Amino acid sequence: MLVFLFRRIAAGAVLVVVVATATFLLLNLTGTDVARNVLGETASRSAVTAKSHELGLDQPLVERYWHWVEQAAQGNLGSSWFTGDSVNQSLMDTLPVTLSVVLTGLLIAAVLSVALGAAAALRGGWVDRAVQFAAVLGTAVPSFLIALVLVVTLAVQLGWLPATGYVALGTSATDWFRSIILPAVSLAVAATAATAMQVRGAMIDVLRADFVRTLRSRGLSTRSVVFKHALRNAAPPALTVIALQFIGLISGAVVVEKVFGLPGIGTLANSAAVRGDAPVLLGTVVVTVGIVVAVNLLLDIAYGWLNPKVRVS
Amino acid sequence: MRKTVAIIGAGLLTATATACGGGTQAAGGDKTLTLAESVTATPWDLAKASMGPEAQYYQPVFDTLIRLDSKGEPTPNLATSWSYDKAQTTLTLKLRTGVKFTDGTALDADAVRQSLLHTKSGTGSAAGEIQDITGVDVVDAHTVAIKLSHPTASLLSALGQVSGMIAGPKSLENPKVPVGSGPYQLDTSATTAGQTYTYTRNPDYWNAKAFPYDKIVVKYLADPTARTNALLSGQLDGATLNLNRVATVKGRGLNVVTYQPGDIEGLYIWDRAGKKVPALGKLKVRQALNHAFDRQAIVKSAKTGLGTPTTQLFAPGEDGNDAGLDDTYSYDPAKARKLLAEAGYPDGFSVTIPDLSAMFPQEQAALTQSLKDIGIKVKLDNLPGDQVFSSMLSGKYAMSYFKLGAPTVWDKVQLQLTKKSTWNPFKYDDPKADDLIERIGKATGAKRSALFKQLNTYVVEQAWNAPWNVIANAYATAKDVKVTPQPGTQYPPIYNYAPAAK
Repeated sequence: MLVFLFRRIAAGAVLVVVVATATFLLLNLTGTDVARNVLGETASRSAVTAKSHELGLDQPLVERYWHWVEQAAQGNLGSSWFTGDSVNQSLMDTLPVTLSVVLTGLLIAAVLSVALGAAAALRGGWVDRAVQFAAVLGTAVPSFLIALVLVVTLAVQLGWLPATGYVALGTSATDWFRSIILPAVSLAVAATAATAMQVRGAMIDVLRADFVRTLRSRGLSTRSVVFKHALRNAAPPALTVIALQFIGLISGAVVVEKVFGLPGIGTLANSAAVRGDAPVLLGTVVVTVGIVVAVNLLLDIAYGWLNPKVRVS
Repeated sequence: MRKTVAIIGAGLLTATATACGGGTQAAGGDKTLTLAESVTATPWDLAKASMGPEAQYYQPVFDTLIRLDSKGEPTPNLATSWSYDKAQTTLTLKLRTGVKFTDGTALDADAVRQSLLHTKSGTGSAAGEIQDITGVDVVDAHTVAIKLSHPTASLLSALGQVSGMIAGPKSLENPKVPVGSGPYQLDTSATTAGQTYTYTRNPDYWNAKAFPYDKIVVKYLADPTARTNALLSGQLDGATLNLNRVATVKGRGLNVVTYQPGDIEGLYIWDRAGKKVPALGKLKVRQALNHAFDRQAIVKSAKTGLGTPTTQLFAPGEDGNDAGLDDTYSYDPAKARKLLAEAGYPDGFSVTIPDLSAMFPQEQAALTQSLKDIGIKVKLDNLPGDQVFSSMLSGKYAMSYFKLGAPTVWDKVQLQLTKKSTWNPFKYDDPKADDLIERIGKATGAKRSALFKQLNTYVVEQAWNAPWNVIANAYATAKDVKVTPQPGTQYPPIYNYAPAAK
């Protein structure tokens, strides 16, 4: 198990390095005049040259890359070229926002998808058809559209919830919940749709299994069969899908954060990409890839724990 | 399981009940002014500061030497009076006494000297505005003399904006917290860098009555839709508005002001000497381009009717503006084709222009179509947003859609009409224009205005560009907040906001 773990961690670390290097090269080979962008269109040429020197942009590419790697290896992701803010601090400020939305969205998706998937499998008939239709609709409608509809109706028209902004959990739990519930629901719709269909399929398979028939023949109630045995056996494929949805939700957060004006990692990456703020963009890429690697690692460990055959592959 | 569902359900009910009971907090109700900015702040070193929209981040904490009134005219602030010497190269300012920075240091002549020279040493556009300063002399404890390399008409205006903000002498280099003598101070406990900046009253401020709000919150909200939604739901007291949302926001009862900060939009011809595209070196071709645009239709469709059609460089109200010049080039595609033929281009010519559809879809469409209508073969070059400025400045394009503005007319001239100007990427040089600009630099009063008019007329006649309109900005405020826009600035300064009757 330890060798298996070590291999997975090493592979994850290599992935982070490869992605970071590729991002660094992409950002530095675009020919963008960063110093001009930092100073604005009205700055003089001499000011732009001075800024270029200040940012170290007149250094050779390899030297700049090595400097970044050295700093990053010590946990220092540098500072924004535009604001001078520490990238580490910016990530610490923005990551809780994104994780709040994504994890809440994931929780909503998990609860709803299990309920809907199980109901569809158990009831069949019109309930099944309704869940399947809703799942197709939920997958087809983009999250930003759901976000726009939610913000216009519930925030702008009815005034029940805030249209934009984020309140930290430490400041007020209620306000935190109110600030993230609409974005979380926007993200949860597609994830719920995808996972509910997995739960439905797995439940139908399990309910048809011999052991369920045996349990029923021994006189166990439907509730007991469903909750104690069928759902537990149908859970692994659903858990896999949910874990993968987590990664999808992080990328979906970029758009949803924009609609709700949330200062999350998506907004940070977006504004850094538009301006060409390489240190910030590199920092967000490294952290996001790190999260993806960590989630995959946890999934691998779970698989390895469930199925020893996976550990040797 | 049932218990878990019950807990989640209770949580949802509580949150919704709170939401229904309290509604969204009225942003201006508790004498708090909450504003949205479309750009992030660059705190807090004035040497790195910009003159543009981000000024609202600095205004609460840093006071300016001079206050520009709602017409853009200089009035006393930290400086109570000022005068130029005969040569117009020394500006002597008398400073207000008894003013202190928020760290307790006295604001005296030496502090002003240090702050101005520090800002000037920087690379921000605020530094760029005061590059003509050669030194600042301390005359006595409350008098400074600013020395200039040559007469600089825009200095007083610059001293009323970010360039003239004064920071505490102990906090000039890369300060973590701003130390100024302004009406407010930064509340670090309610501030999240890059996102939300909260300012509370500076108890020692000398002119508190000019600032009716106890607290100012400036939020960074880049997305225009998010800004509008926040305004409509009562989370904001003020924000800029896209022109196509003006009717919606007005319909919801919010206050909307439209104003013209002086930016001129249209076809900017960078290659006037015809180095890259020889046709553009011919006056008749450039005049033909001016006849190609239906300015009224562009303002009506692309600008929702907001904006003033023009063919000149200076906006109404600015020195040198001449209403008569706006009739110079009527919309006349037939005449444009005739002029092209006379210039030796009966079948038009080919030109590559940047495709700015991602940022300015309607403007780009109007430009491309109008050029095609007079027989010019347009090749659109697609480029990422962060390369737009650098590509244009490197001389990659002979002409393009663009808009330019500056706090003063003189700044406008310096920005684009001299050989050294930043926005003269092909280094076009015209001795007659140079001579006029040199004379403007030395002139004052009516003589100066007349020279600005001469320069404007010459540039229009020579068809240096093909302007379309003076841009209109829209700014919306909550029902209980009124704001007065200011000439030359994109966002109104914080002292122009006041409570209004609902």
